[in-house]
Amino acid sequence: MAEAFAVDVQGLKKSFGGLRALDGVDLRIRPGEIYGLLGPNGAGKTTLIRAIVGLVAPDAGTVMLLGRRMPDVDNLRNVGYMTQAAALYPGLSIAENVEFFAAINGADKGVDEVLKLVQLDQRRSSVVATISGGMRQRCSLACALVHKPKLLLLDEPTVGVDPQLRVQFWEEFRKMAAAGTTIVVSSHVMDEAERCQRLGLIQFGRMLAEGTPNEVRARAGTDNLEEAFLRLAGDGVVA
Amino acid sequence: MSGRRVAAITRRLMQQFRRDRRTLALLFVAPIVILALLGYMIRGSSSVPAVGIANQDQGPLGGMFASALEHSNLISANTIQASDGDAKLKDGSLAAYIVFPSDFSQRAQAGTIAPEVHLEGSLPGTSVPVLQALQQALASVASSRPGAGLRFVPQVDYLYGGRTLDTLDYFGAAFIGLIVFFLVFVITIVAFLNERSLGTLERLMASPLRRGEIVLGYMLGFTILALVQSAEVLTFALAVLKVHNEGNVLLIFGLEALMALAAVNLGIFLSMFARTEFQAVQFIPLVVVPQFLLSGILFPVSTEPKPLQVVSDVLPLTYAVNGLRDLMIKGADLTWPSLQLDVGVVAGFCVLLVAAGVATLRRRIA
Repeated sequence: MAEAFAVDVQGLKKSFGGLRALDGVDLRIRPGEIYGLLGPNGAGKTTLIRAIVGLVAPDAGTVMLLGRRMPDVDNLRNVGYMTQAAALYPGLSIAENVEFFAAINGADKGVDEVLKLVQLDQRRSSVVATISGGMRQRCSLACALVHKPKLLLLDEPTVGVDPQLRVQFWEEFRKMAAAGTTIVVSSHVMDEAERCQRLGLIQFGRMLAEGTPNEVRARAGTDNLEEAFLRLAGDGVVA
Repeated sequence: MSGRRVAAITRRLMQQFRRDRRTLALLFVAPIVILALLGYMIRGSSSVPAVGIANQDQGPLGGMFASALEHSNLISANTIQASDGDAKLKDGSLAAYIVFPSDFSQRAQAGTIAPEVHLEGSLPGTSVPVLQALQQALASVASSRPGAGLRFVPQVDYLYGGRTLDTLDYFGAAFIGLIVFFLVFVITIVAFLNERSLGTLERLMASPLRRGEIVLGYMLGFTILALVQSAEVLTFALAVLKVHNEGNVLLIFGLEALMALAAVNLGIFLSMFARTEFQAVQFIPLVVVPQFLLSGILFPVSTEPKPLQVVSDVLPLTYAVNGLRDLMIKGADLTWPSLQLDVGVVAGFCVLLVAAGVATLRRRIA
């Protein structure tokens, strides 16, 4: 990919009834970058991610993914999307779920590899209805990764995942990014924000602040990332 | 036992219902709709079976009978030629015709009243009013011409079926299709809704899948199940219940399969208008029951009040029921224009629903 940006969002607006979920968001993410979307509940993080994959039709603005203007159904084979709640078929086994998502994205292999990655290869025949919440989350991630997308959109991927596995997830994200995969992660967890190369703070459907973790801290005048966000978000309320 | 805790549960239920307008509407509107429909169908039924009268009697008695029948409110009688009778039964314009033969008066002198009654035979419930009307005519003729020892021996003849057809034979033919149609519809609508409520549909929408591919994939999957079910139901009806069948079993299976296909697509289409399984189940009394009543399975469409006949004529189930009865009771084959129409309408409805399903399946939620 020769484009300058893997994700190029300009002037995105979306209202639901009277609620302005996105109020003119600009977002540019370079290929191979790990970008963290942060913000309080209801800030517009999920709406932004859904608008990027084309599930929400914006009222105004444009979305370019990997150099192609969205919506573009074929371009979605280059995108992996993990929803907030683990959206899986409870009646299928772990492996059957992953195989299904591989097939609809046009990938005919990679299931074993991705199951090892999320450490579910021992449980591959377990029916999803019977496994724990953390395992569902891992299975859901495997479904988003199996077709080796160039762009990975993860909506709070580590909810319910234990700290040890979370470290492994991030190790893997880092490797994928190094290999050229662009990753957009929404999160509440500040030690995850620390691992992102760049952060964007969203509130009231607007991008309040953007930059590397160090830049964000410097701008808020504090050493603590959590403190920095509370301060910047506080400014946002005033503005 | 705490009254407060019980009251808390009751209050919570009322609060939930207040927000769920659709359920409230169902609770209070659906029973009225269904009862009104049923009442109108039965009480408002203006049309009585059309009966042709052919009077060939050389004596006076045939004419008296004919005029008594014309005044009957059980049937709607009009004069025809006996030779046209069978053709009119076949095209459905008559439910029966009665011939008073040339020696009718002569035999009556000898004490035998023997009109020829030709019944269509495939419609449940139409032969009864015809015979009743004849009895009434006999009573009125007999009162004006007192005479002792009259024997009433109508010569009854059936175009289709006949005396051996019992109630199960009339209803079995149509029910075979209906069972499949309704079960497949319910299974599809719930399965498709699950896909929505689990969030997996959102995942499908964020993949390269086309909407048409989703609908087609669903259709094939459920059609396989529906075909197995159709085969099972048909085998049971024919082999175990021994439902009367004149037609080609493969054709019956084919029409059932078409109905199953329509049901799958109706399920996919209607699932777009329900948010929860609960709401989907509510489609059954609203969508399924009126269709069932109007399809002609219980009351022949021709005896419905005229405005309802118009509704029946646009419902695909009417054609499916009609087609199955044509096949099983009348032994129709694909050269019959009526069966061609029935199969054509059901097939057309399938195509329409596939298109509607694809069109309503929005990639974008908002």
